[in-house]
This record gives sequence, C-alpha cells and structure tokens, in this order.
Amino acid sequence: MNLNIKAQKNNSFDAIVVGSGMTGGFAAKELTEKGLKVLMIERGREIKHGQDYNTATKEPWEFDHRGRVPVHSAEELWANKRFGNLANEETGGFFTNDKDNPYVEKRPFDWIRAYHTGGKSMHWGRQSYRWNKQDFEANAKEGVGVDWPIRYEDLESWYTYVEKFVGVSGQKEGLDVLPDGHFLPPMPMFPPEIHFKKMMLEKFNRPVTIGRVANLTQAQSEHVKSGRASCQYRNKCARGCPYGAYYSSLAGAIPAANATKRLTALHDSIVSEIIYDEKLQKATGVRVINQKTMKVEEYFAKIIFLNAGAMNTAALMLNSKSNRFPTGLGNDSDQVGRNIMDHHLGAGATATVEGFLDDYVFGQRPNALYIPRFRNWGNDKQSYLRGFGYQGGASRAGWNRGVNNDGFGASFKEDLTKPGNWTIGFGGFGEVLPNPNNRMYLDPSKKDKWGIPMIVFDAAFGDNEIAMRKDMMNSAMEMLDAAGFKNIAGNNRQDVHLGLGIHEMGTARMGRDPKTSVLNAYNQVHACKNVFVTDGAAMASSSCVNPSITYMALTARAADFAVKALKKKDL
Amino acid sequence: MNRRDAIKNVALLLGGTLSAPTLMAMSRWEELTLNTEGVLFSLTEAQRKIVAEVAEMIIPKTDTVGAKDVGVPAFIEMMMKDCYAQPEHLSFMEGVTALEQAKFLDMDASKRTETLTKLETDTKEMMKARQVKQTKMGDNDDKEDMKAIPKGLPFWRLMKELTLLGYFTSEAGLKASFEYVPIPTKLEVIKLKPNQKAYAY
Repeated sequence: MNLNIKAQKNNSFDAIVVGSGMTGGFAAKELTEKGLKVLMIERGREIKHGQDYNTATKEPWEFDHRGRVPVHSAEELWANKRFGNLANEETGGFFTNDKDNPYVEKRPFDWIRAYHTGGKSMHWGRQSYRWNKQDFEANAKEGVGVDWPIRYEDLESWYTYVEKFVGVSGQKEGLDVLPDGHFLPPMPMFPPEIHFKKMMLEKFNRPVTIGRVANLTQAQSEHVKSGRASCQYRNKCARGCPYGAYYSSLAGAIPAANATKRLTALHDSIVSEIIYDEKLQKATGVRVINQKTMKVEEYFAKIIFLNAGAMNTAALMLNSKSNRFPTGLGNDSDQVGRNIMDHHLGAGATATVEGFLDDYVFGQRPNALYIPRFRNWGNDKQSYLRGFGYQGGASRAGWNRGVNNDGFGASFKEDLTKPGNWTIGFGGFGEVLPNPNNRMYLDPSKKDKWGIPMIVFDAAFGDNEIAMRKDMMNSAMEMLDAAGFKNIAGNNRQDVHLGLGIHEMGTARMGRDPKTSVLNAYNQVHACKNVFVTDGAAMASSSCVNPSITYMALTARAADFAVKALKKKDL
Repeated sequence: MNRRDAIKNVALLLGGTLSAPTLMAMSRWEELTLNTEGVLFSLTEAQRKIVAEVAEMIIPKTDTVGAKDVGVPAFIEMMMKDCYAQPEHLSFMEGVTALEQAKFLDMDASKRTETLTKLETDTKEMMKARQVKQTKMGDNDDKEDMKAIPKGLPFWRLMKELTLLGYFTSEAGLKASFEYVPIPTKLEVIKLKPNQKAYAY
C-alpha cells in the first residue's frame, strides 16, 4: 500500500499524452506551454532531432543497395511495401517492422505505422490544407454519418495559430473550396505547369495552385529561434531533415515542449489500458508495458490526451474495460473502432510534355501542384457524393528513363547524362465516406508479444469511393489531354485498400449526440470528460484534403479548452 | 510440387521448353538453393564474365568511366542475391545461360551488338504483357506498376536496370555524368545551356 502511494506520487502528472507524433507532440507543446506538467508516452524507440537521422546526409553511393529494399527487409516491412518503395533503404528506419507488429485482416487493410518519437510526422507528405466550410456541413446536409459538432469558424483561428508555428508555404488564391491560410512564400511552378494552370482555367475554369506545404521557404524569427532553418531543396525530407526545414513533431513541437522544462518523455512504453475510477467516474491514469523489459507500470494524471494514431487510440479505448465501460472506455455508442476513413489514392494519369526543352530547374522541389476539388462543387453534380483533389506536377526525366528506352552503348550513355523530356502526372486524393461497417476491433484470442489483443480490420471501399476512383482517372486524363500533353496513360490501382493513404481516421468520432458519437465538440469523451482524443480518430468525415493541419488545429483547440476547464476545476 | 517441377511448370506456362543447358543450370541452381538458406543465386566464373561484358556494352568506357570501372558487375550479382527472389533468379539464370550457350564471349564486337539488339527486341515483346505504368502515389512518390505474371523480369531488363542503377549512383559514375549538387540551397527555374549535364542531388 505504501509502495503504491509512493508510485502514485512519483508517477503523477497534470496531463498524460499518449503518442508523440503529429498530434501527440502538439498536445505536449500546448499543455506544457500553458503550465501543465506533462508526461508524453511513446511506444517506440527514442530518436533525437538531427543526431538520429542516420541517412540524412549520406551520398547516393553510400547505400549498399542504392535505396532499394532487400528481400529480407521487404518481409519485415510487408505492409509498407504495399505503398511502393516508400520504406526503402534511405527511409526504412522510420517505418515500423510489420512482422514484429502483426495485425489481422478480415478484409485487407494497408496499415503503415511509425513507432518512434515523432511518429508519422517523420515522413508525412507535408501538404497542409484547411478544410472548407462545406466539409463541416456535408454530413448533416446529405444525411451521411453524424453532423460535426463544430464548424469552420470554430477552427479558423486555430488553423492560423498552427500554420504560424509549423510554417506553411503557399499561394493565396481566395477560393471557397480551399480557404487561404497564413503562408510563407510559395514555391515556384515550372513552365509546363504554368501552361497547365492556364489551360485548366481557360478550358474548365478549374484553379491550380502550388502545393501548400510545411517546408520553411523562408524561416521566420520564431522558427530560427527554435533551431529551424529554411529549406535547402534537397527533397530528402523522408530521411529526416537535419535543417528542421520541414515540420515534424521532432523538429517543432517536442523541442517547444522541452523548452518549458515541464515535459517528461517516456519511450519504449506501450500504453495497454486507461485506468478508470468507478467512484470518481473519471480516468485516473494509464497502465504501461515497457516494450523491451515487459515491466508494467502505472502513471497518473488529471487529464489524458489520446494521440496514438486513430487505430491505436481506438484499440486502447477498446482494451480499457471497466464496470462502467464493459465494451471499452467511452464506447457507450458502440462507435469506437467504427467508421474507418482514409483518403483513397493511386488513381490518376500521366503524360509526356512536348517542348519546354530549354527550361530546367536547379534544386529539388519537395512539393507538387494542387488541384482543389471541383466535383460536386458549385454547379457540378456527380452520381457519387463529395470529391477529390489532385496532387502532381511536371519534371524532366532522369537517367532511369534508360531502363525502358531502347538502346545501349556510348551514345545511349551520353544521352542519359542530359535532362530527359518533361513528363507530367497527377494522382487523386479522394474523400471516403464514414460507414459504421468499416471497422476495427480487438481479436478475442490473438495477442501480440506484449499480451495486448491484436487489431482486426474489417473494412473496404464502398460504391461511392469506387465510382469516384473511375472519375479520378478519367478526369485526370481529360485534363492532361486538354492541356495538349501526349501519351496519356490513366491508372486506377486495384490493389489499393483503406489505410494506404496513411490518413486513417474516424474510429472515435466527434458528434452532437452521445448515442451516436464518442467525442463532444471539444474532443472530450462524452462519458469520461477528462479523456480527450485529438488524433485522426476524432474525425466525423474525411474531406479530401490532407488531414494533419486539421488534427493539429483540433488538438490546440482542445488543449486550450482542457487547461481552462482544469483551472475552473471542471475536470 | 517440388521446386524443379515448379520451375518446369513456369516454363510450360510461358509456352516454351527449356534447353538442356538451361535445365542443367537450373539443376545446379536447385542444389545451391537447397544447400544454402536465404542465398538463391550464384554465377560461375564464365557467367560472371558474361554479365561484366554485357554491362560494359550497356555503359561502355568512353572519355568517362564505364560499368566495369565502377564495379557494376559485382553490384549486379549482389543486387540479384539481396533484392530479388526466385522468379528473377530463374529468369536471370535463363538469360545468362542462353548467352553462354550461344558462346557470347567468343563473338566479335559486331556479333555481340547484334545479339544484344535482338535480346532487347525480344524483351520489349515480353514486357508488353506486363503493361508497365507509372502511378503517382504522393507528391514525390511514383510507383511502377506492372501486371503480375508468373515469371521473373526478363534478363535484359534486369541487366539494364541494374547496370544503370549501379553506374549512375556510383561515386565515379555519378560525378562523371552529372553536375552533383547534394545541397542546392535554392530552387530556381532556369534556362538550359547547350550541352548542359543534368543535375544529380
């Protein structure tokens, strides 16, 4: 008993944050900056900004397999390999070993994970778009899923707040479909892209803009102060950026939290359960398993933020059973684990560009063009609901064009030392509708090596997504053709499943009614108000824009609410 | 079904029969695969020489270094072992065995060129069935999609891909071929000068 009291004292904090990624890091920053003593718990290994970016400054010839994936690591990264060459020799260290962390696929699910400090913020695409007003209203208007308990206006100032800290470069366009934000200078478009933009406006009245991306095109004083520098245009972001030029939890939020001296970080620590006190009717802490030593320990706090990534956050809630919550913490509505959404990708088109042969680029742009959603927008009406945005752009072919080109020998060799022709391509990111039958749950018998039930995925694209994908391919082909490009090839990958967008969300959705949702308008669990969920799990719909900036805005807003509530002794 | 039957079935699927030397090579290969775990691929000295000569013909030494100078032959063998599985091991062995059988090393330069030109033409036909396509997966992630067929990539395609990869990413090959700019520090749209080399990053 004495021991227990001592443990309680040493292991007690104002707040516990589960996860150190995009939202966990941000929650830790917000809560510590507002004066709270915070424990941030990361299940994976510790990596330190700069010093642990092992491949960041390696020369091409220093990689044994020149960036390819050896067969034995392909086995360890089996889920990652479904994406393509993402988890390769240069970047594979920031992807989770799937063999050691298996999951069950009742229906196929492409689950890409990043168990280490910073989580998936270490290799996100950095695309940062605000949701538009309709994104928050569509569910209610169309009778899909549940209505969001918030509107654009509730999040607007938080978007600005996050954009300033993160540093987002982009071009203001004044579009309702893609609200402008607080931007650093935009990156340039290349000549064939400028031609494309002009043609799209002329022929379809569709705007095209340069990607809005969390790379510092011009580091501001607040960025420099925290050790971040401007982008060097190496486009090696996914190896870890030693300049801190792209935003990651590791380069941005965690250093800010550390600077307050109120952050304690635990690594290699898997949260297996949230401890619920039946008498107090609130959560009092978490139970943690050390992934190396298997030692179990408990930590306590007044509030708990769940930021483990949508799937692991929901799994943790489902695994936290009590008399009050026999099917998992906060699961009165039976919606925890349901309504899995993502963005579906791998459909679009590529083409070759004639001309522009005296145009070239110095430096590598870690960014692309963005074509905002034009389907079911304004006067457009499709047989399916919602829409998609395109990402892509033009570049001059490199030496690897030789693999598919004819020839060999001296002149072939010489030719490959010159820039090749321009090619251009776009791929869609499509909105996925919430569907309660798209779900994950805990396997009743299979357990991982820490004794935690394995996650079972039972989810798939529906008719709406499948219809949209056809349009994603056809519209891309039509647009490339209208711009005068040649050799147009459409693609609509059939081997894409939910998860591959790595934008998984929806498993503990926000809503107005506790009977049909898990969280309220401030991301509090309806029936356990001192637990907040502010990662992708909170999403009631998915929009078609990349989600991270929205997750961070929701996190900052919820943290602000939580600290005010704590001060008022409401929690 | 044992491994040898599986290989024969693959050959039948392709509508072809395998020559005696190929079968011999396969049987040798089978012994190797059965004896060593994880390593499924091994070349004889003669085959090594063929691989080196073919690589050098793809990227010959000119006023700049060639494939052999920068160690491409050993690179190809290592990559085949480490990064490819049984289907490619088989198709590669088939290809190199066919050249061995045709006495490639005894051919004069023009006959060698003729042989490889024919190989390239045949390979193009074989690759058609795969409907190779590039898919845009993210901002800077392209994936090469191919239709799955029950046969490894053709020998010539493997040779070409690995020769180019090995050469253009080697220190000497890269620096001789391109203007190497590991840290560009800026991003600019520029006009290409006549005969300007491509940048490598």
